[in-house]
Amino acid sequence: MGEVSHSAPEGRDLLKRQLGLALRRQKLRALLLVVPLLLFVTATFIYPIGGLLTRSAYAPEFSEGMPRTAAALSEWDRTGLPPESAWEALVLDLQDHNRQGTAGKIAATLNVELPGARSLIIKTARLAPRLTPPYRTSLAAAEDGWKNPVAWAAMKTLANSFTDRFYLAAVDHRIDADGSVVAQPSGRQIYVPLFVRTFAIGGLVTLCCLLLGFPVAYWLSVLPMRYSNLLMIMVLLPFWTSLLVRTTAWIVLLQDRGVINSLLVWTGLIHDEGRLRLIFNSTGTVIAMTHILLPFMILPLYSVMKTVPPTYMRAARSLGANQFTAFVRIYLPQTKAGVAAGCLLVFILSLGYYITPALVGGESGTLISNMIAYHIQKSLNWGLAAALSALLLASVLLLYWAYNRLAQVDGLKLG
Amino acid sequence: MTVKKQPAPDRDASHSAADAVVRFINVQKTYDAERLVVRNLNLDIRRGEFLTMLGPSGSGKTTTLMMLAGFEPATHGEILLNGRQINRVPPDKRGIGMVFQNYALFPHMTVAENLAFPLQVRSVGKAEVERRVLDALAMVELSGFGTRRPAQLSGGQQQRVAVARALIFEPEVVLMDEPLGALDKQLREQMQYEIKRLHERLGVTIVYVTHDQSEALTMSDRIAVFNDGVIQQLSTPADLYEQPTSLFVAEFIGENNRLGGKLEHVDSAGKCTVRLDGGQIVSAIAVGNPKPGQAVQLSLRPERVLLNPNRSDTSLSIVEASVDDLIYLGDHIRIRLLVDGQEPFVIKALNDDNGMSARKGDKVAVGWRAENCRALHQSQSDVGHG
Amino acid sequence: MSLPTYAQNWERAWYYAFRAFCILVLLFLVLPILVIIPLSFNAEPYFTFTDGMLRLDPTAFSTRWYLDIFENGMSNPALPAGSWEWLADVWQNGQWIHSAKNSILIATGATILATILGTLAALGLSQPAMPAGRLITALLISPIIVPIIVTSASLVFLLAKVGLANTYFGIILAHALLGAPFVVITVTASMSGFDRSLIRAGQMLGAPSHVIFLKIIMPLILPGVISGALFAFGTSFDEVVAVIFLTDYEQRTIPRQMWAGIREQISPTILAIATILVVLSIALLTVVELLRRRSERLRGVKPS
Repeated sequence: MGEVSHSAPEGRDLLKRQLGLALRRQKLRALLLVVPLLLFVTATFIYPIGGLLTRSAYAPEFSEGMPRTAAALSEWDRTGLPPESAWEALVLDLQDHNRQGTAGKIAATLNVELPGARSLIIKTARLAPRLTPPYRTSLAAAEDGWKNPVAWAAMKTLANSFTDRFYLAAVDHRIDADGSVVAQPSGRQIYVPLFVRTFAIGGLVTLCCLLLGFPVAYWLSVLPMRYSNLLMIMVLLPFWTSLLVRTTAWIVLLQDRGVINSLLVWTGLIHDEGRLRLIFNSTGTVIAMTHILLPFMILPLYSVMKTVPPTYMRAARSLGANQFTAFVRIYLPQTKAGVAAGCLLVFILSLGYYITPALVGGESGTLISNMIAYHIQKSLNWGLAAALSALLLASVLLLYWAYNRLAQVDGLKLG
Repeated sequence: MTVKKQPAPDRDASHSAADAVVRFINVQKTYDAERLVVRNLNLDIRRGEFLTMLGPSGSGKTTTLMMLAGFEPATHGEILLNGRQINRVPPDKRGIGMVFQNYALFPHMTVAENLAFPLQVRSVGKAEVERRVLDALAMVELSGFGTRRPAQLSGGQQQRVAVARALIFEPEVVLMDEPLGALDKQLREQMQYEIKRLHERLGVTIVYVTHDQSEALTMSDRIAVFNDGVIQQLSTPADLYEQPTSLFVAEFIGENNRLGGKLEHVDSAGKCTVRLDGGQIVSAIAVGNPKPGQAVQLSLRPERVLLNPNRSDTSLSIVEASVDDLIYLGDHIRIRLLVDGQEPFVIKALNDDNGMSARKGDKVAVGWRAENCRALHQSQSDVGHG
Repeated sequence: MSLPTYAQNWERAWYYAFRAFCILVLLFLVLPILVIIPLSFNAEPYFTFTDGMLRLDPTAFSTRWYLDIFENGMSNPALPAGSWEWLADVWQNGQWIHSAKNSILIATGATILATILGTLAALGLSQPAMPAGRLITALLISPIIVPIIVTSASLVFLLAKVGLANTYFGIILAHALLGAPFVVITVTASMSGFDRSLIRAGQMLGAPSHVIFLKIIMPLILPGVISGALFAFGTSFDEVVAVIFLTDYEQRTIPRQMWAGIREQISPTILAIATILVVLSIALLTVVELLRRRSERLRGVKPS
């Protein structure tokens, strides 16, 4: 030790370098252990999500598939019908597709933007080889659809590879024929109300979980170990039981001829004809999701409450506070971190729920995830699905960031 | 803080029940309806005194404190505070202050908020709260620390805040449950002094629980030694050390040497002769009225035993011994002896100019005066006192 | 928590009301799961207790739905149950047997991958020298936070691009991604409170690093590794969204077939399957709990 303080500056520099080297070696070793999973997560998670997000703002299918048309339409100002150059480009592009038999793909792409345009494209492609210039006349004569500027406007919108139209659609807006952004008519607004419903149901489920979970977590945390361990099994069993099993259980319990309705009829509380609609609506979603997510509320609450020593309450009592004051002023503030963590966790998880709403939600109980699945599997509007995913992902990540901040302050752990 | 200075208790004066601020009458406590944690406790705590409950863990001292605080109900018997039965009064209505083992300072409140808490729940006015918090901080020499959180204080500072918080609402009685257990030795001694000083200044009654005998001896007016749910002895520190009434107390307080024997004869003044198991006759003071022929244990403090005494002094009882081991401790030397072939017997010899001539294996003689040797019942540890 | 003697009447009432409420919530948690068990023995294809079941009439109960688990999809359902030909047919053609084989295969593959990658990462993350540890942990755990639909949707395109769509390997990769965070969490937890001086002690006693890893680190974190692996297995065994998106009918798993069954025509066979899964999860829960306690004992954490 003495040698260090007496050594010349050069010696100290050497020492510093060696220390830095040793530290770097330790860091490197730690990193090397993490790298395999990090690469795996990057390849199967970060990269594909990046790809999905790209799809939400980048759709080159039309400009690549119909290069001439896309170029010609870029000069058109959306007033009236486009000039002859655009008509010619359209016919030439479609002639290519007709030759390669790929017209269906372009038809599908356009159909997403302009419902009904599929047959227009297919028919035109079949006609294209036989059309003669000037195309404006021959094409318009052959297919009435092209006399409508809306079809051209739709193609002009699609011609932009980089686009905000999916995001506009995701918040119930669209680009109309003259290129301005307008809100969908209130009857056709789908996504914003769906987001609102997703957040509302998530909030309601979180609230229910808190109201049911807080007393239970408190009770378990003050019970003697041998009882609380036993009762904890009742919390952990649903936690470990398959999601589908729990959802099935609720279908069995809640359906019209299910256990609960039968019990109510049997006890005479309701008439046989007046069976309650408990499932295939938002009631069913809320009940089943509360049941499924309740352990995620109880477990973090319990682990925080376990760390609050009973002497604080005793101290408060000995200082003159009654049971209620001691609970509100001394106990509650110390469980704040657990409450926040539990609520955030439940809320985050509820935002992404898919299975349960799909099975028990019916019409009024489906959430945004179900809509994303619909656009991926059924409507094949991947750009819109990607934009909806991006919005959902952004909300979740924001909340996850908040959760991590909380966990950092109070040293909580997930799970 | 405005606490009326109360007259310091007179140690030796006899007290009537009327002086007692707290009375335990025939109190019993059991958790499982099988084993009594506290067995038939009768204890009067005098106004203004510093009473320590001392005992090994599981002896019932903390349970007694918790019954007084109101956190544990007494299974049987009465607890009186100022003559009023408080068995069914909740803790917050008892008006007893308490310092907890690990202080129990509320972690989400600042020091000042902690101190203000007992005043706020008593609906004391805002200005008054502020003034008394400042006074309390000054009292424990923490002025300027009001805005800190407990976690930002050192152990000693937290301890002082805990004491100030227990005193700020001017309770008549303050309970302290091993309040210095978490501190290191040096800090503990300093805090012992500070608590003692506060006690003398404020005249508040303090009931203190500890398992550390030296802490009990230095701080207390009276000490109640607990064992097995019973108070073994209740007396001043000096009496406890010099005149233990039971083998348990003699062994628990300070260092003790035991010699087994049979009582031969007792005179009216309590002086007695005892035949050691080895056959030798020695004299001692009989404690607790033993009968001749009964088995007794002689209790001798190491520092009261003389090494190689003057054999012509007839007031001494002298026995032969051999040196088993010597331990050098600087200012004194501990000598382990085999006396009468019995279990180790320790004496302390000052390491002064006279030097220490004994060596391992030497034959030596040890002696004592009868008044320094107490003959205690073998079964004494089971008999309660008070 | 026991009632103090000084409690007033309203405190007494509140205390019992509070307890009753907690017990009701706990029943709310377990009863829905347990109620399926008796219903799966219903002789009738209904989802409620028949009068016969309530009267405990033995003819109202049957194991026909359990038999159906085996026989559904057989090429020759007329074979006598239990015979060799029957067994061979069930093994070859049973719908649920096929799903079970797939589930076990996929879950095993995903668990192995997730456990190896997750354990290594957790070992790295719990080194004090780890740079940006919090950020990396947050990143590695995010697959269980990000909505599964988003993950699945993005994997659809990736797997299609690399030719792994509708393959066992593709779905194993996806499930390993979802399971690895649990391994990271449990192993990190079992490393927390790990006394690093044990490693130094091992070095001082002359052990090379691979011996230290095998003989000192491994035994102490093994309970964490195993419960992480069980979590990963459970996750994969229960997962259905990724299976829906990334696989074909050929790779269908038990949850996938349950999903289809519930959506199309829910039959009591689903309840029989659910009952078997409940029994499995009880077994899994027991093992994980025992491991957790063993780990706490090993690390000297007091069970309080």
